[in-house]
Order: sequence, then C-alpha cells, then structure tokens
Amino acid sequence: MSTVAIPYDIEPHPITGMYNGKFGLWLFLASEVMLFGALFSTYILLRVGAPAGTWPHHGSEILDVPKGTINTLVLIASSVSMVLAWASLKMNNFAKGRVFLLVTFLLAGVFLVIKATEYYAKFTHYQIDVKTPVLLHGEKVTRITGHLHEQTDEHVVITPDAVKGQEHPAEMEIERDNIVRLTNFGPQHSTYMATYFTLTGLHGLHIVGGMVVILFLLLTGPSMWSKNPAKLTNRVECTGLYWHFVDLVWIFLFPVFYLL
Amino acid sequence: MLAASSFGHYGAWLPPLISVHGAEVDRLIDILHWFMLLLFVGWGIFFVYCLVRFRRRAGQKASYVLPKGKISKYAEVGVALFEVVLLVGFSMPAWAEYRTHPPAKDHRVEIRVIAQQFQWNVHYPGPDGKFGRTAAEFISDANPIGLDDSDPAAADDVQLVNEMHLPTGKDIYVRLTSMDVVHSFSIPTMRVKQDAIPGMEIPVWFKVLEGATTENLDEQMTRTYPIGRVAWDRFRHHVAAKDYADRSGQVILARGGDLGATFRDGKKLLERLRQAGVTELTLRPRNALELVCAQLCGNSHYKMHAQIITHTPQDYEKWLKEQSKPVEFNEDF
Amino acid sequence: MSHDHGHDLPFWRKYIFSVDHKVIGIQYAVTALLFLFLGFSLISIMRYQLAYPGRDIPVIGKLLGEPIVGKTPTGYVLTGDGYNAFGAMHGTIMIFLGVVPLAVGGFGNFVLPLQIGAPDMAFPRLNMASYWAYFSGGVVMLTSFFVPGGAANSGWTSYPPLSDIATTGQTMWLFGMVLLITSSLLGSVNFIVTTVQMRAKGLSFFRLPFFVWAQLVTSFLLLLAFPPLEAAGVLQLMDRLAGTSFFLPSGLVVSGQVQNQLSGGGSPLLWQHLFWFLAHPEVYVLILPALGIVAEVIANNTRKPLWGYKSLVYSTIFLGFMSFLVWAHHMFMTGMGQTLSTFFQATTMIISVPSVIILTCLVISLWGASIRFTVPMLFALAFLPMFAIGGLTGLPLGLTTSDIQLHDTYYVIGHFHYVVAPGTLFALFAGVYYWFPKATGRKMNDFLGKLHFWPSFIFINGVFMPMFFIGMAGVLRRQFDQTEQLHGAAVQGLTVMVSWSAWMLIISQFPFIINFFWSIFRGEKVEANPWQATTLEWSAPSPPPHGNFATPPVVACGPYEYSIPGKEKDFCPQNVALEA
Repeated sequence: MSTVAIPYDIEPHPITGMYNGKFGLWLFLASEVMLFGALFSTYILLRVGAPAGTWPHHGSEILDVPKGTINTLVLIASSVSMVLAWASLKMNNFAKGRVFLLVTFLLAGVFLVIKATEYYAKFTHYQIDVKTPVLLHGEKVTRITGHLHEQTDEHVVITPDAVKGQEHPAEMEIERDNIVRLTNFGPQHSTYMATYFTLTGLHGLHIVGGMVVILFLLLTGPSMWSKNPAKLTNRVECTGLYWHFVDLVWIFLFPVFYLL
Repeated sequence: MLAASSFGHYGAWLPPLISVHGAEVDRLIDILHWFMLLLFVGWGIFFVYCLVRFRRRAGQKASYVLPKGKISKYAEVGVALFEVVLLVGFSMPAWAEYRTHPPAKDHRVEIRVIAQQFQWNVHYPGPDGKFGRTAAEFISDANPIGLDDSDPAAADDVQLVNEMHLPTGKDIYVRLTSMDVVHSFSIPTMRVKQDAIPGMEIPVWFKVLEGATTENLDEQMTRTYPIGRVAWDRFRHHVAAKDYADRSGQVILARGGDLGATFRDGKKLLERLRQAGVTELTLRPRNALELVCAQLCGNSHYKMHAQIITHTPQDYEKWLKEQSKPVEFNEDF
Repeated sequence: MSHDHGHDLPFWRKYIFSVDHKVIGIQYAVTALLFLFLGFSLISIMRYQLAYPGRDIPVIGKLLGEPIVGKTPTGYVLTGDGYNAFGAMHGTIMIFLGVVPLAVGGFGNFVLPLQIGAPDMAFPRLNMASYWAYFSGGVVMLTSFFVPGGAANSGWTSYPPLSDIATTGQTMWLFGMVLLITSSLLGSVNFIVTTVQMRAKGLSFFRLPFFVWAQLVTSFLLLLAFPPLEAAGVLQLMDRLAGTSFFLPSGLVVSGQVQNQLSGGGSPLLWQHLFWFLAHPEVYVLILPALGIVAEVIANNTRKPLWGYKSLVYSTIFLGFMSFLVWAHHMFMTGMGQTLSTFFQATTMIISVPSVIILTCLVISLWGASIRFTVPMLFALAFLPMFAIGGLTGLPLGLTTSDIQLHDTYYVIGHFHYVVAPGTLFALFAGVYYWFPKATGRKMNDFLGKLHFWPSFIFINGVFMPMFFIGMAGVLRRQFDQTEQLHGAAVQGLTVMVSWSAWMLIISQFPFIINFFWSIFRGEKVEANPWQATTLEWSAPSPPPHGNFATPPVVACGPYEYSIPGKEKDFCPQNVALEA
C-alpha cells in the first residue's frame, strides 16, 4: 500500500480535537441527517396532503406495534454493546471488545429478522376495491382486506380480516370484472405504505451496511490489533458513531410510523 | 384601455401585448434591462480602463498597497437598495394582482382548461354558467375531458380541443389542471404563464385589452415582405392576404392559403412565385394568438399549441350560444 | 515524514488504481474533459435540428440509430424523443460528468493538498473510491443511450409524472445519479477534513489562497445539498420500480388509460422541492471553484495582492449559506402565492449581494496592477464580464413578475449558460493552462493557447447572446422545432446564427485539444515556478513527487505577497523555506 504518512490520522488535531477519521465521520453523519431529513419531510408533506381515508389514523391500525417495540429495544441494546466494544478496546481488552462487536452484529441480525417478518406480513396481506359493493360484516362495502386463497383469471378468493372480538368471516369469492384495484400492503398500496417501506428499507440498508463493516472489523481485527491497536480502536469508535446514528434514526422512525 | 391601436409584431423582443396586467410585466422587464445595462456599462468601462492603464510595461510596478474602496461600497449599497425597490415597489404589487386577487365570481368568464399529452382541452360551462360533471370513466377520443352526459348541467357545455375563444375587455378566469404530466399554460402575448399540475386545480386570471380582437389583430399584422426575405421556416404559419397568380392568370397562392406543409413544398412554391414575377408577398399570421405549453411534457411538447380567438363581448356571447346548442341531426343527410 | 514508495508500484497501481491525489486529479480532469466534449457534441447535433428543422442530419445521421433518428426517404432525421434524450443528457453530462468533476474532482484534488502544503488528501483510498464511483456513474449514463427506449428524456430536471412514466433510460439515469452523488459525498468529506486538519505550519485560515476557501465552501454545499436529491432519486426509483405513487397524484389518465393500479396521493411538487433543494446549491458548486481559479490567476498576473481578500472570504461563506434558501425561485410558476414568493424573491435578491461583492473585488484587483496577458490571464479576464452578464440576467428571473414572461424560455438558457460556459468553463481553461506546467513539468504552447482563446470568446458570445432575444420573443425551452410556434418562427434567423456559432465554437476547441496532448510530450520544459507565483504548490517540483514536498512547508505570510515595496523580486513565496 503506497500511502504517504498522513498527519492526524491517529492523534487528534489541536484545533478540532479529533483525528481525521472521526471528523470525516461526523461530516458524513451531517449528510445522512440531510438524507433522512428529506425523507421525513416527504412523510410530513404527504401526510398533510393526503386525501381523507387514505392514511391510517394511527400507525397501530396497520403496523405491528409489539414487534416494533421489541426492535427498538434490540437496537438500543446493540448501541450499548457497540459502546462497550469500543470502551473495551480503549482499555486494552481486545478479547472483550471482540465479543461485544459480535453481540452488536447478532443483535442487528435479530432486528433484520423481525423486520423481515413484518415485511412478509405486509406482502401477504391484500386489499381489494370493487365496483359493485359486496356484503361483509353485515354491510355493503367497496373495500375488503384479508388474505388471498386462490387467484384465477376469473376470480379471487379472499378470507377477510376479522373485526376485533368477532369470528373470522368465511371466504369470499370476488369476480375479476368487479375489481377496480387489487393490491397487497406493499409499497404500492398507498403513500403511507410507500413512505413506510422506503424509510424503513433505507434504514435497513444502513443496518446491513453497518453489519458489513462490523464483520470486516471482526475478521481483520486481530491482525490490525497486533500492528496498530490505536487505529483499530479509532475505527471501532467511528463505526460506533455511525451505529448510534442509525439507532437514532430508528428512534424517530418508530414513533412516527407505529405510534402517531 | 387601449382601443384598436397597434399591438406590434412578433420579433426579437417582447411579443405584442394583449392583456391588461401585461403592461406591469413589460414595465418591470424594461426597467430591469436599463438597470442591467447601466451596471454592465459602468463596470465595463472601469474594467477596460484597468486593462489598458495597468498593462505591464517597462519600468512599471504594481502597487502592493491597495486602494480604498469607498465608491464600491456605496455602489453596492445603491444596487441593493434599488433591488429592494424593484421587489417591493414593482414585483410584489404586480404579483399580488396576478396571483392573490382574483376577479369577483359574478364578474368573470370561467373556463376550464385540462392539459393533456399533447393537446389543450378547453371546457366552457355554457350559458347556464355551471360546469357539467366530468369523470375518468367517460373519457374517450370524442370526449377527452370525460363529460358526463347524464348531468343536466352538462347539456350546454362546450368542449374544444386546441381552440380557445375569449372575450376582450372582460375578466377571464381559467381553472387549470392536467390529466397526465406537468404542462404549462403559456400565452406569451398575454404575459400569462401557469404550470398545469395533475392532481391540482390552479386558477389563473387575466383580461384581454379592448380592441384586441382577432379581426383587428389579423388586420394589423398584415405586412408586405420582399420575396427574398420569405423563407418557409419563418413564414410557415402565415397565409396570403390576397391572390397571387402566374403570368397566365392561374392562381399559385390563393388568398388565405399558406406556403405549404413542408419546407420542400415551401421552397417549390416560392420558386414558382419568383418565376411568375412576384417581388413581394403580403402575409399575415394564420392565428395571431397562441396558447403554448411551457413545460416539457414528452416528445410532442413542441407541437402542443392551441389557437386563441378573441371576440368583442357581444360576438363572444353569440359564439358561445351557437356552440352550446345541442347537435341536431339532419335526417336528410 | 513522507515515505516515497512510488517507484515500487506496478503500472496499474501507479496510474489506474492510484491513491495519489495528483494522479486522481488528473484522472478526474481527463475523464471530465472527454465528457465535456461529448456533451458539446450532443448539443451540436441538436443545433442542426434547431437551425434546419426536419432536415436530414448530415454525415452522422445514420450512425445514431433509433429511437434517436427516424428514417426519411433521403436520410435520417432527429426524432422528438431523440432530441429530448440528447437534451436531458446534454445537461446531465455537462453538469455532473463534466464541469463539477473537472472543477472539484480535477482541480480540487490536484491543487488543494499542494496549496495547503499537505502530502496528500486525508483519506487517499476514499479519494480513489470517489473517482471510480464517478467513473461508474459515467458508464451507467453512457450505457443508458443503448437500452430500449434510449436515454433519459425528461430533462436533466426529471420532473414527474413525465419521468415516472418514461422509458428505462430514466431508471438508469437514477442509478447513475446515485453513483455520482456517492462520489461527490466521498470527495467532499475528504476535502473538508484535509483543509481543516492538514494545513502546513503557519497556514492559518486567513492565509489560505482564495482557491482553497472556494473549494471548502463548495465541499460543504456538496455534502449537505446532495442528500435530498439522493432521497428524491430513491423515491423516483420506488415509483418506477416498486409501483409507489410518491410523485403521482390520484386520478391520472395517461394516453386515455385511467391509472387505477396506482395508489395516487402523491405530489409532483414534492420532486420539484427536493430536486431544487440540491440543484440550486449545485449552481454555486459550478461557479465557486471557477471564482477560486480566476482569483489565483488574477493575483499572479497582476503581480499584486487581491483586493478585498476578507470580503471575498466572508462573501463566499455567506453565499454558501444563502444558497440553501433560494431554491423555490425555480418554481415561481407552480401556483405560488404571495407569502412564499416574497420569501424566495427576497432571498434571491439578497444572494445577489455577495456575488456582486466577489465580482467587484476581482475587478478592483486590476487597479494599480501590472497586468501580464498570459493565456491563463486572457481566460480569467474574459470570465469577469461574462460572469457579470450571467449574473445580471438572473435579476429578471429572480423577480416573479418579470419571470412570468421569461420562465422556461431561452432567456433562462442564455442566463445560466453565460455563467457556466463563458463563465466557469473559461475559468477552467484558465486553470488548465495555469497548472498544466505543475502537473507535467511542461508549458502549453502560447500561440495555440491564443488561437484557442480568441475564436472561443467570439463564438461563445455568438451562441449565447442571441438567446436573450430569442427568449424575450417568447421562444420556450426544450422545443424540438422552434418554428412550430409563431413567435419562434419569427426569430428563426437568430436561431440559425446560434447554431453556426456553436459549430464554429466546437471547431475552436481543436487548438486546445492538440495543444493539450502535444505539450505533454513536446511542451517547453519548465522548473518549479514558471509563473513566478507565491502559493505553496509552486514550491514543489514540477511535477511533484509522491508525498509532494521533500520537507513540509512552513508559512509566515499571506498568499499574495506580490510587489512588496523595497524588494527587488516582485513576489515572495508563501513557503518561508524558499526565502533565501
């Protein structure tokens, strides 16, 4: 590797008090704030401008609040383990640092798995809008939500969602000719779902990115620790900063989508 | 109000002015350009002076000590203040008129304009003053705005494509929207421009100057050109004001006829006219007023224009009544 | 202490995947110059259609292929789709693949570490990554011409719903932009950290050459303004690939088909806000590095310090800050009311103040000078009145009432091109002629330089000055055939003149191309400081070795110590070590 010696690569600069990597990462986080800020602004604009009935009154109507809560706790725990990883390295305990890094990695994995189950639930849940109203729960409706059993060229068979406290209604068959719109609860469903998937999806990609970096640190850590322990500690610190930011984004995402 | 005075011609500066509020727009543009010219010439003189006076010559040394810059500070403050005057004194009041103070509901002629790739659909409410209901399910080639015939208010509605009739001297209130992509409702002669955004209905209002009827404009814009100056590209939208015959008396270019559909046709026709001894042509634009699309909307964006025909208020009423009559089928046809 | 390992490396690591800022800077510069030529070529073809609508494209018509051209009985004519694709890509290529990579990636990378006395950028490998992200983005953009449906054709501004329903090329445009934005972000982090943390001893902020300040503020703009466009790009990709309706309102009917499968509820204006939030600061990204270059060349060729250095710096910082507050002046015609329009008109008027101050400082710097009309200086001087015209013509566009008539007309095209073409591009040429000796150890040929300058200056005015009149006449932008409209047909004579000027302008670039390549091998050899300049890069050898300086420079004075009274030599280098 033909790099010249770069000043303040490891030791902090007298004016900024940071080594290069840390300063760079804070700048990167500033740009990330603009990125997620733009998306949150999008959420606000679309919610305020949404025609009546197209956005849920409360996130809990559509999203799984218990799962979201667990995920929040999981991420907070992973931030804690991330700090402990850095602290361990700072105190010269490489073995402990490695363990905490691994814990962070695994917790991130748990987060993604839970997220995946939430996404799956959305992709398998359907909504049908019909032209001629059909009878459901004792009244004529033009919108049915539920799970699909069968799809042919002529009709679809759907098991409608149960109303709280009541029994599951029986399957319904709906003719294709009567269908104005058939969609699952994926991003195309509504601007609400679109915003939800885009924001949580981008956030998820950031988690994956962080996991890749942590994995890299786990694999190359031993060799770098033996050559330049301060450098490894700094890298873990920077990764930690990034990780806390990703956690912070979730701290905003969760109430905005699940609770409001 | 300007009566039938000259409205000018299309050329390399502002097009003819046909609307009332347009005078404010033109005034601001003129003031601005004089101001810009003043600044540029002032700077320019200083700039050129420096280049000449301070060019490197034998024995001449540059000055390390920098000149004091009081004049530049005052000039800068002056420029900034003038900009404030332009903003507060000219732009804001005119914009308020243009965008914040619509004409009163009972005093205006309301028209709906629905932009579409690549045509302007114009919807008149007819003598009953009520727009018939429209819905996407009724849209067809013959009914591009989807007018619901079962609605009684729709019976006297008028639907036009790429054609808009307007009365002079009356407030016109256009309710603008689009069916598909963002278009822009632009009438250069009226100093009107408004984006047509799907999902939104945006109003734009203006008033045509009295005397600016299509008849008058056609007459005023009739001009004679030496035949050497007539090229098809520049005169493809013009029609002849009189007949042009060849030496045997056969009419080559009839009154009201144009120069051909393509540049090849145009070249041939002009050649024939030249050979027939024609030295000048008296031409006028076929449609003096145009509505054009000012926002890229696809591959035929450049072709998206509508003809505007202006009438005196009385002629306009006559025209509207005529158009609003339900179509009667002639059984003898 | 610098470790010089340069001689150990194999060719591909020394010149292809190099982490040396100088090599990366040259890579950026050469790639960008090629893209600039491509962008210019696209518009040259479009100008044929504009001057001679509907006529067969001579010579290269048959090479272009469908859907760009359509077959006629006599040849090949440009189609409406082809025109729009070339138009959208001309803008995209010139801005994102040409000017910014040259101004920031090229000049910034090469000159900045040298001017602050640093051995390299703070993150050399990140620097390399940023170049390859840019390169990849360029490849994606170029490839988009060859997919079914052709390249993006909804303008470089990509307004939905048009861009949402456009062909595949638009998706590739979006992916290309993601890569380019990534490159930009990596670069801007590097520049800021380097400038703050790695200045030579004694090089305080107010001793920095103005070029460095310009690059620093530019980097902040890139860092903070690009992410909303990235967000918007993600949203548009979701609309195009995942069927969402971020930008699609309810009730859309496209080509007679009611779009029932969409959810609707979106807003086309959302894209416009997000896009212009970036794109306005982007125009300052286009001009600030140029102002930096012009300042350096003027100081050097007037042999005196710049006038108003502090004003220049404060104005630049204020300009950067204000640039985030003016974006909706691109959206005046969307139905904006009095409150919002007043806010944006006011901020637009305010932002003109620092621009005027900067220009004024540069012009006053000529007073009391001893002006050397070297080739870089010719371009730097020409920049000044050209930038003035560009800036002044922004005034009628920045006030809503006059904007009614001028929005989306050729007046706008004239305005922004004056700032970027005879403005920034001339400044960039000045920079090439100025720093070429530092990068190669050889000077470019003066005669060819003047042969490049004079015709370019004349013809570039021939291209853009008539546009103000064409626009004032009412001719709109992005018109495949301007004669289709009455007011367009009336000024067709001017349109033809613009086209011929453009073709003459592209021919005028050949002396530069020849000069550039010939001088690399046969140019007059020079030492470290052929221009007798003061800033730190001139105290390193030409070209500088890996690690730049044998001993790190130490600074004890300002950047423009020219013509100090009482001293025999008419300049004093910033690097104290050189002062005998």
